[in-house]
Amino acid sequence: MALPVLICDDSLLARKQVRKSLPESFDAEFLTAGNGVEALAILRSQEIGLVFLDLTMPELDGIGVLEAIKQDGLDCFVIVISADIQPEMQKRVTELGALAFIHKPVNPEKLVVILKQYGLI
Amino acid sequence: MSTAFSEEQRDCLQELINVAMGLASDKLARFLNTFVHLQVPAIELVNSVQIPAQFEARYSHTEAALISQGFLGNDGLRGEAIVLYQLDNAHRIAALLGYDTDSASELEMLTDISSILTTTFLNGLADQIDNSLSYSAPRVLSSRQNNVPEALQETAVHWELALKVDISYQLVDHSFNCDMLLLIPGEAVLNIQQILDRILEEY
Repeated sequence: MALPVLICDDSLLARKQVRKSLPESFDAEFLTAGNGVEALAILRSQEIGLVFLDLTMPELDGIGVLEAIKQDGLDCFVIVISADIQPEMQKRVTELGALAFIHKPVNPEKLVVILKQYGLI
Repeated sequence: MSTAFSEEQRDCLQELINVAMGLASDKLARFLNTFVHLQVPAIELVNSVQIPAQFEARYSHTEAALISQGFLGNDGLRGEAIVLYQLDNAHRIAALLGYDTDSASELEMLTDISSILTTTFLNGLADQIDNSLSYSAPRVLSSRQNNVPEALQETAVHWELALKVDISYQLVDHSFNCDMLLLIPGEAVLNIQQILDRILEEY
């Protein structure tokens, strides 16, 4: 069964880059959000198995989304894909429950390793 | 953003710049030994003749330093990066970093920061478009400058276009604002458009 996957990034290019980095064998149904507010609206209205989450976004940033996911007890995996690569930021998102932290631009090989690690492919 | 770019091209350029700026912020954070809050830098392409007027308001009541670094890459990619600093908060940052707080040391610090920001940022940008750059040594265009528009005028006159990258860093306890200007030749727009289209075609 296809996994419902949400790609959240304010950049159209970045959303496409994530999508293209995923292997063809990854059976998923994709939804997209352009900021944190849109992402939370989707996450609260339907089951999402995995979220690819950008950090630096207008309206509500990725940290805000992670905090809301934690607070609401939403059941989904989150992989952060960010240009903000400071170690401090990696620590913060991991503490907030993100599975992994990937630097932009996304590296397809690294992404596959992480997806395999968590049994998502 | 100027009408020179389509919405898709603008989005693409913004994302390339965000990634490059993320690298530069990380380097700066390590240099300053603190965490920097990264904001999406506002970018705008303008004619270089408009540049002095655009900075008049922000820099009219403050002393500023301007530091320049030339860059040169493959396929005719070239330009001059200028970083502008308001000196108000430079004293505090200098003290934080253990530089002496006299004006010569302050300038040395700003030159170091400019070099980190400019080369990390531009290398990050070049990597993403499969180019590589070399740089001239950073050069102080002016310090303790009370007339920023005039100082900008003298440099901007050599170029037709400028890509403004508005950088605002918030350190944990200090604010640190600077502006980066990439002065580029007029024909660069066509080059940039082609590069962006090539990337967009890939996705």
